[in-house]
Amino acid sequence: MAAADSPSAALRRDLCSRGIRLAGKMRADVVDLLDAYVEQQGLDASASVAAVEGVPLAAVERWDEQTGTQRLLENLAAYRAFRALLAQMLEEQREQLGEADAGLGRALAAVLLQVSAFAYHLEELLRLESRGIPGNAEEEEEEDGPPPPPRLSLFEQKLRGLGVLRELAQWAVRSVRDLRQLAKPSPATGAASGLAESP
Amino acid sequence: LGGPQNLKCVTHNLHKMLCTWDMSSRGRHGQMDFCYTTNDLTTQVCFKTKERRVEIPIPESSITVTIKNSGTAFATKEFVIHQKDISFIPVTPHILSLMPDFPTSTLNLKWSDNGSVFPYGLDALWQIQILRKEAMEVVTQVTYYSKLTHEDVILSWNWTSDMPLECTSHYVKIRCYINATHFLGPKDWSDWSPAGVIPGKDAEPGGSGVFPLDSVVAVGSDLTFCCVHEEDQRITNMTYGSKSYTMMQLSSRSHAIRVLNASVSNSSGTNVVCRLENGLEGSVVFVGYAPDSPQNLSCETPNFLIIKCTWKPGRPSGLYGKRRTKYSLFERTSGKNVSCEVSEVNKDHVCGFPVLPDQKSYDFILGVSNPIGQAQSSLLVDITQRVHPKTPEKLTVTGSNSTSIQLRWFINGSFAEIRLLCQIEVTSSHSERKLYNVSMPGRKSSTYTAQLSALHPDTKYQFRVHCSAADHFWRWSDWSRGVEQTTSEA
Repeated sequence: MAAADSPSAALRRDLCSRGIRLAGKMRADVVDLLDAYVEQQGLDASASVAAVEGVPLAAVERWDEQTGTQRLLENLAAYRAFRALLAQMLEEQREQLGEADAGLGRALAAVLLQVSAFAYHLEELLRLESRGIPGNAEEEEEEDGPPPPPRLSLFEQKLRGLGVLRELAQWAVRSVRDLRQLAKPSPATGAASGLAESP
Repeated sequence: LGGPQNLKCVTHNLHKMLCTWDMSSRGRHGQMDFCYTTNDLTTQVCFKTKERRVEIPIPESSITVTIKNSGTAFATKEFVIHQKDISFIPVTPHILSLMPDFPTSTLNLKWSDNGSVFPYGLDALWQIQILRKEAMEVVTQVTYYSKLTHEDVILSWNWTSDMPLECTSHYVKIRCYINATHFLGPKDWSDWSPAGVIPGKDAEPGGSGVFPLDSVVAVGSDLTFCCVHEEDQRITNMTYGSKSYTMMQLSSRSHAIRVLNASVSNSSGTNVVCRLENGLEGSVVFVGYAPDSPQNLSCETPNFLIIKCTWKPGRPSGLYGKRRTKYSLFERTSGKNVSCEVSEVNKDHVCGFPVLPDQKSYDFILGVSNPIGQAQSSLLVDITQRVHPKTPEKLTVTGSNSTSIQLRWFINGSFAEIRLLCQIEVTSSHSERKLYNVSMPGRKSSTYTAQLSALHPDTKYQFRVHCSAADHFWRWSDWSRGVEQTTSEA
């Protein structure tokens, strides 16, 4: 007979499943945006893009060994980084294209909104575990101003955008797996695994 | 034997000449006595020299030179030199400055014409050579003309390359020819100057990339793009948009492609991509049109507070964002300039200019520019003759009886300087649509009234009003909203 869920475990599983849906929707939208972006920027969809500075990599070694807190913290750091990168892409889009191709601008803004919402969702999960939420690098930057981004040429900006969207799509997949992992009850206590055993 | 021979004299400045000679094998060394005399010299001028070259004045007509080799008693030779025997070869010019302007791929060359040593008014020809690549291939040779003014004048010349200056090193050489018509001797070009050089990125350690970088060019241009890479990197191909182009090698670190008659690019520009064995370099070029002159420029005022100018922009430029076509409205009388916020996409080209105190006549120049070109249109207008009032508002019936009715309405705007003409449209089920004209002094943001009589009793009428300037009609305002009223029974 399965042990009755404690209220926080039930809330955590609810947050995880909502997070999984959010990440799934985000991934679909990012893939659509990626197709539109490649076409609109005249890029070659198969172009290999070197690792772009400042873009968090979704690939991780020994994924299974990560604790729940590590998963959440890494996810949160990544989506905060994507929030800043997408905001910069949106700014560049407006500067370069003005009102032309407003559709792409709207799609970019929509994904930015989802990324922000997902970051907030991750903070909720961390709050639930009364884990301190790491300072938002962005807010700290706002006090002394964001470091000026390196002046990229337009082609480099295009490639960076491609790299950002590709990696974001990968992160959405990883986030679904991470949240599924977090939602699983751990064998011993029947509570959601991962978070409890972290140091 | 042992005597001087082959005396030759050359002048570089038409004042002095440099004479040189050979000595036959035996008399090659030792000191010599060099003497010369001309018709206008009373005595011979002599001096000793070990060099076999001497600088002496140019004779008016001829000069007699005697060279005696001190070591050998009988080795004395006399030469008579006429002006026609003297060659005139100007001094080799030297480049004062050679400055690149990379965004425009233009070289600016400055040099001194050394005119102070020559008489006033001589014609000078300058041949300028541009060379490229490691093999110093001549790209172009141009002749530049100037007139000497007996002063040293710094001459300046620009050259725009058909390829970005970053692509490979460019070299410049210059030489000159002075058309001294009064000088009898043979005249020739000077030597070439030492080459000035503008190093390309391919001469720069670590220099790499596709050039030009993020440029804006006119549709129909023939473009050259180059890919600068490391020496050991093999270049796979270069594409412009989706098409691959044959590459030309400029140097061991630079390859180029040539795109002819470029067509308009899409809003995000056309990518020029250089694929290397282990990497990607690229640039973006925006190909668009220079702006057309604005057509049908028209300006009117709705309220004597603002002047609204509209126009037809002509062909879209194909440029967007910060490269879009920008408009500004300049008024000559007041000197005031206004930049216009024009939407690229929804195509309504309107610009507002404030009505200025005590100014009726406006001499407008609508300036339009984008990175490719600029154009303008002008219009002289008296705004009292260009009144297009706003739609009358709050049309209400303020009184009525069986055969007449009083109407009141409001028009936003300051019309104190003109008379207004308003037209009231009256319709009813019994009779045809009638229009009544009523004229009144304009006022500042005010209500206006009118009375209509000769109406039919017990009849439902619909009324609406529009207005314009009375004295110089320009355009009616839009119709106001309608109002309905039934006259009372008789």
